[in-house]
Amino acid sequence: MNYLYHLIIYFEIYAIVAMSLNLLIGYGGLLQVAHAAYYGIGAYAAALLWTKLGWGFFSGLAVGAFAAGVMSLLVSLPAWRFKGDYFVMISIAVQTLIYATLYNWIELTNGPFGISGIARPVIAGYSFVTTGSITVLYGALALGLGMIMALLKWSPFGRVLQAMRDDELAARSIGIPVNWLKLQAFALASAMVGIAGGLYASYVSYIDPTSFSLNESILMLSMVIIGGTGNVRGPLTGAAVLILLPEALRFVQLPDAVAANVRLLAYGLLLVIMMHLRPQGLAGTYRYQ
Amino acid sequence: MQIFLNGLLQGILFGAIGVAFSLVYRTTKVFHLALGGIGALAPYLVLATIAIGLPAWVAVIFAVLAAACLGVLIDESIHWPFSRKRAPAEVHLIASLGVYLVIVQSIALIWGNETQVLRMGVDQTWTAFEVTLAQAQVLGPALTLAATVGLFVWLNGASRGLELRALADNPILVSLLGRNVRTLRRWIFGLSAALAAIAALAVAWDVGFDPHVGLKAVLLGMVAMIIGGTGSFIGPFVGGVLLGVLRAEVVWFGSARWEEAVTFTLLGLFLFFRPLGIFARRVRLEEGA
Repeated sequence: MNYLYHLIIYFEIYAIVAMSLNLLIGYGGLLQVAHAAYYGIGAYAAALLWTKLGWGFFSGLAVGAFAAGVMSLLVSLPAWRFKGDYFVMISIAVQTLIYATLYNWIELTNGPFGISGIARPVIAGYSFVTTGSITVLYGALALGLGMIMALLKWSPFGRVLQAMRDDELAARSIGIPVNWLKLQAFALASAMVGIAGGLYASYVSYIDPTSFSLNESILMLSMVIIGGTGNVRGPLTGAAVLILLPEALRFVQLPDAVAANVRLLAYGLLLVIMMHLRPQGLAGTYRYQ
Repeated sequence: MQIFLNGLLQGILFGAIGVAFSLVYRTTKVFHLALGGIGALAPYLVLATIAIGLPAWVAVIFAVLAAACLGVLIDESIHWPFSRKRAPAEVHLIASLGVYLVIVQSIALIWGNETQVLRMGVDQTWTAFEVTLAQAQVLGPALTLAATVGLFVWLNGASRGLELRALADNPILVSLLGRNVRTLRRWIFGLSAALAAIAALAVAWDVGFDPHVGLKAVLLGMVAMIIGGTGSFIGPFVGGVLLGVLRAEVVWFGSARWEEAVTFTLLGLFLFFRPLGIFARRVRLEEGA
């Protein structure tokens, strides 16, 4: 049972990650590979506040989200000028820089050794120690954020974002402040993935920079592309695939040593096949055109 | 002087990868991440060929030819159909990422994740004017340099090379003039894969290899291309050499931990202040974009 809870918790965390990335890729059409860096900023900021300063659960999460949102200026300002391939290059650069900072700023982040002993959430005196209670708490948070994402799609903000995605020039011509919109979208998505990072840190109680590398960003991107973009259903499907694929591999009794490789292999194959046959992903609505 | 030379030799390899990357990017606008996978595969092919008892030079030629075939195959099966459908840059990028994952994970499944070496024992060294260089350190870059020079001679001399440069300038006009773009693309993908394989073999011979080095190498090639500029074929090579020297100096005067950060900061600076690279030349309006 604990094992099932464990899977559900991971699904909840990755669902938040996928939904936030979908805000950029699916609603805004802004393809980027720096998301794991913001996941990392959220995780580190929250973990440091909890372990070093003894802050409460929600205040730590909020500051983590805020830090990730502010740092998102690093990608959103370049997004004013760069599109497509060049923007992807910029985001790779940002991802590498943030990763290098997490890895090398030893006084603050403890470098490659990471931060250990992060406490499980404590809210109003009740501490969430069992996996079952964490499942409920994270589920509530993921549900809340999911509702926001669903509402966002049909809100004026979501509408103009999608208008910008479909035709940026036309959107500008009717007076949509495209640059301001990009800033907002990136800040929102980064803050949201920062929350997911904090949740992750609190659940596994130990973080180190390798969980926030470029490879992780690529994995997040694949997750969203495979699941589908442009609605809420798509990224949720992507997160489910990400969680269930290793379990399916376990089911056919692959040795652990090759399971990780097979999983990524399946991801690669899925990406190629998807791009050919179903560019909007398993359950998505938006496709690049 | 020692550091400068080390960097220079490294830089030749980066430059060759940069040329291989930009050969594809300039002519077809494909963000060829799979190049990293092809490069990672080459040393394993050499090992496998030597293992069945063939001499080393046969193994090297076989590996380079096989890499070229793989490059052509990737274009035929994946990028050519997308280009015919006029798919946007993002689709090429995601599909290429998928191919990269498939190749690298297949390598890891067959040969394992461990680092391997192509040569044993201590290398012969040469010392002159207080500079000591190992044999493997010099011969690999020398061969790569020869291959790159050969490619430049071909590009500027042969009629096929001329067509290829024309394709980089104006793809639509080339096909309107009755040239077979598909054949040209086979040349492009084959040659760039072969060049990447040669550079990868040189690196592998010097410092060993594992399945996952490819992505970093291809990203360095991309940075070299941006620094050198997308306006010429020689630019990426010069960019790569500069990058190699700079990285060697950073490691010597600063710390190896900041190597990546410096590289990608440079990328960001170039994209912002000199997006056409060091070899930027003023183009006529109708020539550009």
